Amino acid sequence: MAGTATLTKVRQRLVDTLFEDIRARHPRSINGVMEARAAFPDRYADLADTFVGWAIHAWGGDALPGMVDAFVRFTTSVNMSQARYERAGHYENKTFQDCLSSLYNEKESMDDYLLGVYLTNFLWAHHAEICFRFEDNFLKRLRSVKTLVEIAPGHGGWGALALKHLPTARLLGYDISPSSIRLATELMAGAGFGSRATYELTDALDLDVVPAESADAVICNFLIEHLERPDKLCAVIHHLLKPGGQWFLTGAITAAQVDHIYEFRYESELVRMAEQAGLRVTETFSGAPRRTLPNARFLPRSMMLIGQKRTNDIY
Amino acid sequence: MNAQDTDRLTSVFRTLFNEPGLELRDTLTARDVDGWDSLNHVNLMILIEEEFGVRFTTGEVSALQDVGELKRLLSGKLAARRAA
Repeated sequence: MAGTATLTKVRQRLVDTLFEDIRARHPRSINGVMEARAAFPDRYADLADTFVGWAIHAWGGDALPGMVDAFVRFTTSVNMSQARYERAGHYENKTFQDCLSSLYNEKESMDDYLLGVYLTNFLWAHHAEICFRFEDNFLKRLRSVKTLVEIAPGHGGWGALALKHLPTARLLGYDISPSSIRLATELMAGAGFGSRATYELTDALDLDVVPAESADAVICNFLIEHLERPDKLCAVIHHLLKPGGQWFLTGAITAAQVDHIYEFRYESELVRMAEQAGLRVTETFSGAPRRTLPNARFLPRSMMLIGQKRTNDIY
Repeated sequence: MNAQDTDRLTSVFRTLFNEPGLELRDTLTARDVDGWDSLNHVNLMILIEEEFGVRFTTGEVSALQDVGELKRLLSGKLAARRAA
């Protein structure tokens, strides 16, 4: 126990250091991240400590300043995209191929992107809130999960959070990005879950590749808005799940990003898409940033859906 | 940056941050201007894009440290446009 307490103190100091680094080198960004910290006074430290601790074990303490820079670049990119979206009335990019060539296949830009996104899990208040709901409303309610499949694990943080709460589960992750496979593998090893996680460089949207009814639970975070055919993702979740299996999905609604190509405007669109694929929606939550662009037409939201694979027409 | 462009840039700053007396010295940073946070930084850059007819990259926007850097970046884009 003393060792755990010491480790917690060390991690807390590192979180403090991370905030001080943001204050010193990126003063424009400090207000937003302080809002995230203040929004959840009882739980924030644990979440931030966890993510920072895993990152340090995976990539070393020296990596933190670079991750902070990546976070600031990512946040700036998101805000610029949202501002351009406000003026144009539609997302900037329309095709998956545009994003594939400019981002997903470029090692340096993809690493930078994923590490920046990783820090949003606790530096953006509405993402921290979804992390808490992922833990409380999904992971803690799961029973006897042996096989957990993650579609598009990205940085690997969501999968690591899942394995933290599911001690008997094994995770199989599919992603099309070599950067994602490498970073997620490194993060899982750093988090101490490396022996329970396997990642494959595979397009999980290909139903001929992923095995049917192989998963007790499926998670997929912030992929659906990157797809030209988001309905195919819901079909794959249905295909992967055993009857009655549980699923967790997040998506972006009127929230622009350089590689967001499918523009969801209403929460009901995501719910309906899941239902049409044979998935029962049992819970939803939609969160927005505390601060938005002035006179905004679009409120950028991150939506969470929890559900179960239907076993008949209704249930 | 010529005087006319500097006046236009100053006007954008004064309007956005609601500071009629703001002077754009090169060493001015976000710490010196109330409300110059990450969101208003993006607002600022978009307004400058519209005022001057230029476009900034994300890397340029996030890397800017002070007004001097902004002036040099903007001057370079205006010069490139004139040369094109």
